[in-house]
Amino acid sequence: MKPSPKSEANRTGPLLRVASLSKHHVQQRTFSRTEFAVSAFQDVDLELFSGKTLALVGESGAGKSSLARCLALLERPDSGKIEMEGENLLALNRKALFGIRRRVQMIFQEPVSAMNPRLTACEIIAEPLAIQREGTRLQQRERALELMEQVGLEANWERRLPFEFSGGQRQRLAIARALALKPSVLILDEALSNLDASNQALILELLAELQISHSLAYLHIWHDLRLVSQFADEVAVMYQGRIVERKKTHDLFASPEHSYTKELLATVHSVESILLERSA
Amino acid sequence: MKRQKKLVVALVLLTAFQSLILFAGFFAPYDFAAQDREQPFAAPTAVHFVGPQGNVHIRPCVYNLEDSVRCYPLHFFVRGTPYKIAGVFTSHLHLFGVEAPGHIFMMGSDAYGRDQLSRFLFGGQISLLAGLIAAILSVSIGIIVGGIAGYYGGWVDELLMRGGELFLALPWLYLLFAVRAALPLHISQWEVFLLLVSVMGLIGWARPARLIRGVVLSAKQRNFVVAARGFGASDMYLLRRHVLPQTYGVVITQITLLIPLYVLAEVTLTFLGLGVGEPMPSWGSLLSSLQQYYVLSSYWWMFLPALLLIPLFLIFYTAADALQEIHKTVTL
Amino acid sequence: MPQCIRWNRSCWSGLHKKGPMKYFARRFFHATLLLLAVSIFSFTILQLTPGDFFAPMGLNPQISSRTIAGLRSQSGLDRPLPVRYGHWLRDVLKGDLGRSFAYNSAATPLLAVRARNTLLLTGTAMLLAWLIAIPLGMWSAVHRGKWGDRAAGVMTSGLLAVPDLVLFLVLLLLAVRTGWFPTGGMVSAWFSDLNAWNKVKDVAEHLFLPALGLAIATLPTMLRHVRSAMIEVLEAPFIQAARAHGIAERRVLFRYALPVAANPLISLFGFSVGTLLSASLLVEVILSWPGIGPLLVDAIMAKDVYVVIGTVMLSSLFLVAGNLFADVLLFATDPRIRVE
Repeated sequence: MKPSPKSEANRTGPLLRVASLSKHHVQQRTFSRTEFAVSAFQDVDLELFSGKTLALVGESGAGKSSLARCLALLERPDSGKIEMEGENLLALNRKALFGIRRRVQMIFQEPVSAMNPRLTACEIIAEPLAIQREGTRLQQRERALELMEQVGLEANWERRLPFEFSGGQRQRLAIARALALKPSVLILDEALSNLDASNQALILELLAELQISHSLAYLHIWHDLRLVSQFADEVAVMYQGRIVERKKTHDLFASPEHSYTKELLATVHSVESILLERSA
Repeated sequence: MKRQKKLVVALVLLTAFQSLILFAGFFAPYDFAAQDREQPFAAPTAVHFVGPQGNVHIRPCVYNLEDSVRCYPLHFFVRGTPYKIAGVFTSHLHLFGVEAPGHIFMMGSDAYGRDQLSRFLFGGQISLLAGLIAAILSVSIGIIVGGIAGYYGGWVDELLMRGGELFLALPWLYLLFAVRAALPLHISQWEVFLLLVSVMGLIGWARPARLIRGVVLSAKQRNFVVAARGFGASDMYLLRRHVLPQTYGVVITQITLLIPLYVLAEVTLTFLGLGVGEPMPSWGSLLSSLQQYYVLSSYWWMFLPALLLIPLFLIFYTAADALQEIHKTVTL
Repeated sequence: MPQCIRWNRSCWSGLHKKGPMKYFARRFFHATLLLLAVSIFSFTILQLTPGDFFAPMGLNPQISSRTIAGLRSQSGLDRPLPVRYGHWLRDVLKGDLGRSFAYNSAATPLLAVRARNTLLLTGTAMLLAWLIAIPLGMWSAVHRGKWGDRAAGVMTSGLLAVPDLVLFLVLLLLAVRTGWFPTGGMVSAWFSDLNAWNKVKDVAEHLFLPALGLAIATLPTMLRHVRSAMIEVLEAPFIQAARAHGIAERRVLFRYALPVAANPLISLFGFSVGTLLSASLLVEVILSWPGIGPLLVDAIMAKDVYVVIGTVMLSSLFLVAGNLFADVLLFATDPRIRVE
């Protein structure tokens, strides 16, 4: 009962719906038995649409990453729902979850730590296929090579180890790996933060291409509003664990409501020029 | 690269020594239990190239203690007492020997007239094997315990590490002796050997376990493990494919460090009469007679096995050091 | 925000005046629990062995089995294990470590004397080793890479390769051959006739060789650690800054570097207690120093079970106490821990 990614574009409803998601960390004072709860995020509502990018912006902290991991089903939130096609993913048992995992994939901020340094590029990309037991070894390898070409890496680099790639190339590897299982949602946790400006631009281009060709929904976590206008359709601003504002990008830049949003905008050099650009 | 050269040299020497020990029967002129009651505490036999009549031979010969008339020639590749290689193959071939009643004690003989060289070589089999097996056993347990503790964390981790602390709260030799004390003193030699090896292996897991736990803990949190879990990988897969391979370096260095320690432990136990018993040879039993003053002061050759141990351990520690350095640079 | 102040201890939040007491209470409690666990462990495995002290008597046809049974119940060896442990624990808390069957006397005075001797030996050896290791290690670190350091390094590796057993046998050989040193025991036969000063001299003469041997046995590792700790500290930026300010090298070394290096060195002290105690067992046996080492060996041979347990517990006590002492030292010398 899994509709192919192509038909997603025709649906009008959200691909992934998050309702009232909350999570808190437990910290314990050393040498004291009292524990106290620190909230990571509270009452988060989000919607991701196929072919669209939602940017999640906020200060650096555990809140956004924690939220990303919950959405990627790597951590469990304390309350709330994550719905995909009407099914609450949090209510699924382990076996059902195994199949769902392929739908949502994550790209990490640090490409170096996200890949086992002892494996070759081909092995890294093919790993999700191996874990989900899709195809024979040969087929997995072929698919890995296909993916390498799609992200702009040369296929004859398949035997190289991660350290032999540059930073931008490693993120391409990570993207290729994330695409292996043909997901419908891609979560990028500050995926461009460690790249220099030119690489950022290149990767953003690649991501835009892939979004169209694979009808992907992106949740792009970022720390300020500077590049957001280039890639986001919608922006959600996170402040102290809550979503304080969620609007279409142009609307947000034009008429920000929350004080924090205004603070963030102040760091962007020329808001007017962006508005001009957008309306052009 | 100097470290690697050191390592290679050490490993080559070690292998040479091990082959000597493995083929102990070949290199040893006598069986380890063969006694010659007529020759107790005989000094190392001198090898002569000049015969009794004053003529020079190419083939060296040895004199008997009793008469200086007959010089017994030294033959090579002789057929002598049978022995087993690695406990499986039987052979009669010895590198060198002399005809009875001549004798060749290259390292002298002990109170029972047993050739010290032969006993040294055969004893090496016991002592080195004990050390090797015990080290592997300890590290294996360490991998299992450390892996589980590091990976699953929580109360399992607490429990296992507290247990390890218990084993570390005793000085290791006292712990070894205490456990040895719990075992029956007079049982068959093979049982003693197995018991000894098991005991040494079973008590020494705490330190390797702690180190491996550390590696597993940090590996577990690396993003590629998280990512693999995002693909739906099971715990077993993660351990096997991503986490445990990170421990190889620590495992190898621990084994190389533990082998000499355990060899020494076996030697010490046997030296004090608590290890393998007669007639199984061990370096410890070779040295135990040195506890008697008259042996110590009058028969200098009985000290030779002790001195021969020094270069062996030097090689072991050099290899261990080189491995540690290489491992440090690799993981950084 | 709680901060980790020392890498090898638990994280601390700010400490106020009550802090030290709480910390030590905790450490002390932990140490006691550990010793208790060790006692249960040793007791259990030792009592599980088949046959006891009176078993060899069974081989003698002249001794009736009834006599043996009577001896057994007299010494309490026929009761179930937890009961025996309970009695033993209760007695230990009163200061009674059980009974030595081999010596046919109370175990406590026997163990006490031996323990004192072992402490004397290990204390002296530890002192000796540190007295050599610290200056030499510092000197090696300062002259790192030069021929002096290299020579010391080679000697250290060489010394490390010598098994303790061989080292102690060599010392024994030295004593026997040259007659310069007594070959065993702690005191001469005529000890009681000596006056106070000569008594001290006599013990010192007997102590010299074993202490020296023990010190040499533990020296190489200690030297290496001192050297590497000093090197690490000397490469720290604050040392470079001190030098740049024109402070004399000697002052930099002793007033700046050494106090900071004290932290890892004290931890090293804690770790070295264990190896020192293990080596002490061997040196005591070979050089006939009347400590707990030879007592343990003999007791094992004779299946004198309470003495074995007592000795093992004592060795553990020394180890745990040594570590606790290291903790105290660490607390006292590391100002970072005392300040909020």
